Amino acid sequence: MEAAPAQTERRPTRWRLMPERGTVSLFELALLAICIALVAGRLPQNLQDVVIQTFLWGGLALAWNIAGGYAGLISFGHAAFFGLGAYCSTILAVNHGVTPWIGLWLGALLSAAFAALLTLVCARLRGPFFILSTLAAAEVVRIGALNWATLTGGAEGLAILPTPSVLNMVFESKTTYALLMLCYLVAVYVITKVVEGSRYGFYLFAERDDEDAASAAGVNPLLARTGAMCLSAFLTAIGGSLFAQYFLFLDPTHVISPELSFQFALLPALGGLGTAIGPVLGSFAITPLSEMLRSYLGGAAAGLHLAIYGGVLVVVMLYFPGGIAGALQQISRRRTKGAP
Amino acid sequence: MTTLLEVRNLTRTFGSLRAVDDVSFSVREGELLGLIGPNGAGKSTLYNVIAGALAPTSGAIAFKGRPVAAWKPYQAARAGIARTFQIPKPYRHLSVIENVALSALLHNATVAAARHSAEAVLADVGLADYAEEPVSILTVGLLKRLEVARALALRPSLVLFDEIMAGLTPSEVKGMTSLVASLPARGITVIWVEHVLYAIMKTAPRIMVLHRGQLIADGAPEKLAKNPAVIKAYLGEEMSLA
Repeated sequence: MEAAPAQTERRPTRWRLMPERGTVSLFELALLAICIALVAGRLPQNLQDVVIQTFLWGGLALAWNIAGGYAGLISFGHAAFFGLGAYCSTILAVNHGVTPWIGLWLGALLSAAFAALLTLVCARLRGPFFILSTLAAAEVVRIGALNWATLTGGAEGLAILPTPSVLNMVFESKTTYALLMLCYLVAVYVITKVVEGSRYGFYLFAERDDEDAASAAGVNPLLARTGAMCLSAFLTAIGGSLFAQYFLFLDPTHVISPELSFQFALLPALGGLGTAIGPVLGSFAITPLSEMLRSYLGGAAAGLHLAIYGGVLVVVMLYFPGGIAGALQQISRRRTKGAP
Repeated sequence: MTTLLEVRNLTRTFGSLRAVDDVSFSVREGELLGLIGPNGAGKSTLYNVIAGALAPTSGAIAFKGRPVAAWKPYQAARAGIARTFQIPKPYRHLSVIENVALSALLHNATVAAARHSAEAVLADVGLADYAEEPVSILTVGLLKRLEVARALALRPSLVLFDEIMAGLTPSEVKGMTSLVASLPARGITVIWVEHVLYAIMKTAPRIMVLHRGQLIADGAPEKLAKNPAVIKAYLGEEMSLA
């Protein structure tokens, strides 16, 4: 064994402008500053609502990206993990008086266990077959939740008492919610950055790009895949619990719907799959757009917001296959090449 | 020298096809063993079975004296068997150095240390100039070198090379040949499948010939050229013109 030298990084560590694997960039710090300003600034209620949802969806998109972007496990079933988290913390709080601050961790663990089971069952499936099996698994969970009415309230749903209290994780001020969601977003982002810079992150990239080669290099592919799916489900479930605490109402049709699963996948795809900043940018671009379109056009022309939303998606996918993050990378590369 | 790899009566069938048929041989530590044979002789299947990518139908393999029963490729890699792929399988979204660093992670605690040891391996195979480039810009010849680099970065005790010369220019073949020839001295035993016969015949002191799944010859290269079974396998039956 040769001794590892003290300074092993080739390039000296310094501040970078654009996001890169394994470092913190000025771009990310600026974005964080903007986020804090959005929480602290006295925005009107409806805009605060948009900010809260943007943060929440950013965190959820990041969580999906760990499986879908880093490990290549494209899942259209993440609504199941989201729903398990939301229902677990809510049922514990409403029926058993367990504070959501504890319930959300239990929901996350339950979700991770379900993800492990799903990945092991689908271990031999790849590509479209894996996607379809995750979609089917989420539908099973949705139908289960609809029919197990004694536990979940069935189609009538479950409501959380809107009495503000820190212990019940119900807040009067939207600023508190915005802060809570920002903490979630930042936490998932930090976890993502740690994963992508770690040896485990490398295993995921390798397993995603070529399973045979990764396996021949000593990587246990099943272990890598299962771990990514569990972590992704764990973080998604926490997002589900936070969603429940913000909207104070759950029903299977909205919380475990395929539309929700598609949304989880769409934001990272749009922002830049397999990058840390991509899902965040995806949510920052799309969540406000979709919320604004819904509120401005919702009454006048029902469904028109979806058509515009779809159009934007098509344009981005056609002209920026690497997503927003990919486009930014291209621009910064062109700049560094132009410089002497 | 002690025996590193022992293969006994190994058979692998695909349906009624006996791709590897009752093959037995052993490799000593520090050997450079050539493995040749016409297309479809079963060379790649033999590699896949030794490296754990395929389970044997029957027969036994022992590595470092320990019997190996249907192990997985990652277990073979951790035990010290590295392999290259005939058709290069790079990690498309990683840079050249990251491709090699992934293998180096097997013996390095941190990503930074793995990158550092990957640099040395890249210099060894002549890819140092491409370290930070994406693999998409590499030519076939460079991709073959990347395969070799990834295998060597695992610090194996046995490496299985699968046609690492195909698609290389004559001068590249020369460089690669001297690299391969230098490995036994570094404690790396080599089994080497190649279609570029002049390279392997000049370099490997011992060559095995596989034909239709069976081992038909095993010995020094100069003897093989006179072996009637080998001539028959490569050139076909002698025809008599009456």
